[in-house]
Amino acid sequence: MENSIEIIWKNGFLKDSALVAPKLNNLYNQKSKHIIDKFQRMFKMNLILIVLGSFIVLVASFIVGLPYTGVPMFVGMNVLVFLNKKLLNSLKLVDKCKNTYDYLKAFDSWLKFQVNTNKKFARFFYPFVFLSMITGFWMKKSGDQNIGHLAVKKILLTYPDLQLVGGVPVVGVLGVLLIVGILALLAGRIYEWDLKIIYGRIFKKFDELLADIKELRA
Amino acid sequence: MSNDFYTSKILPYAAIIIKICRAYTNSKEDFEDYYQEVCLQIWRSHHNFKEASEWSTWVYRITLNVCLTLLKKKKNNKQHFASDYAPPEFAQDSHAFEDEQLNQLYDAIRQLSEIDRGVIMLYLEEKSYQEIAEIIGTNPNNIGVRIRRIKARLKNILDKKNGEFN
Repeated sequence: MENSIEIIWKNGFLKDSALVAPKLNNLYNQKSKHIIDKFQRMFKMNLILIVLGSFIVLVASFIVGLPYTGVPMFVGMNVLVFLNKKLLNSLKLVDKCKNTYDYLKAFDSWLKFQVNTNKKFARFFYPFVFLSMITGFWMKKSGDQNIGHLAVKKILLTYPDLQLVGGVPVVGVLGVLLIVGILALLAGRIYEWDLKIIYGRIFKKFDELLADIKELRA
Repeated sequence: MSNDFYTSKILPYAAIIIKICRAYTNSKEDFEDYYQEVCLQIWRSHHNFKEASEWSTWVYRITLNVCLTLLKKKKNNKQHFASDYAPPEFAQDSHAFEDEQLNQLYDAIRQLSEIDRGVIMLYLEEKSYQEIAEIIGTNPNNIGVRIRRIKARLKNILDKKNGEFN
């Protein structure tokens, strides 16, 4: 039997029922599942990396003689992980048997709650990290003395009238407080910026998906 | 996407969308994903349709673009094959048609380069060289030569398979 490709093509579809279009009911199910699963995987990986990072910071801080930086940062990072692990566990309570739209809405609510909680935490966390760095450098040993005390002594040679509070120049304390204040104020934005770098693309896809489904339901 | 939009703007072209998607996939799951993605993209981008061309041309173009994009993503993810041509083992369809000759033809088409698959599908759907060129975005003068070359390659693949086809 000899058939040209044109004839095979025509005849093949004449007697075939395979041209029935698939149903579009489940249009978004797979997409939503895929996006949410991807987010959860990224989120978990991020937490694992923070834990690993905290141990690296801890060990490194002892090696370079900055334990007053390393220990608080280790604690702070692990509190952050603990908080987010609890948030992640609460995501498991979202009923996956809901329809796609309700599931995505529930996930969206969880995401907003997660972001808000972390923004609040960031107001303490970023200044805390800054303070632990300052403390670490201040307390770092140089010979018998701390670097901080040596620095104050040197500054006093140039500015003997400098006012001190607990051995620290008032100007320095005010400067640190100012930076702490700015960090606390901008913490939300810094966190959002951080979030955008890591999850920006996936959030955008998620928003598009939600907008599509809203339009579909309209 | 409303039912009206699907019924009036997509369903009349469902057959060609299905045929094209089948040329870029080799499983039922992939085919359904591709088909759904094509429908979504047509719906999402229908506001951009400027009526400078036929709606059908627009649909074919989106279908091909979506299939090419998804195939590229799949290749990037799984690194199936480095060249533009799929080896025969990836051309086998687990979701076959009833007609055996049609299956063999599809398997052969899946071994073509991605663009050639689009060209031959449109040719088999009796689109003019002008329309094919417009959809693919190439010069119509080259289409005839390209189709002859593709047909020769298909014939070669099919001949190798069973020596029965022209």
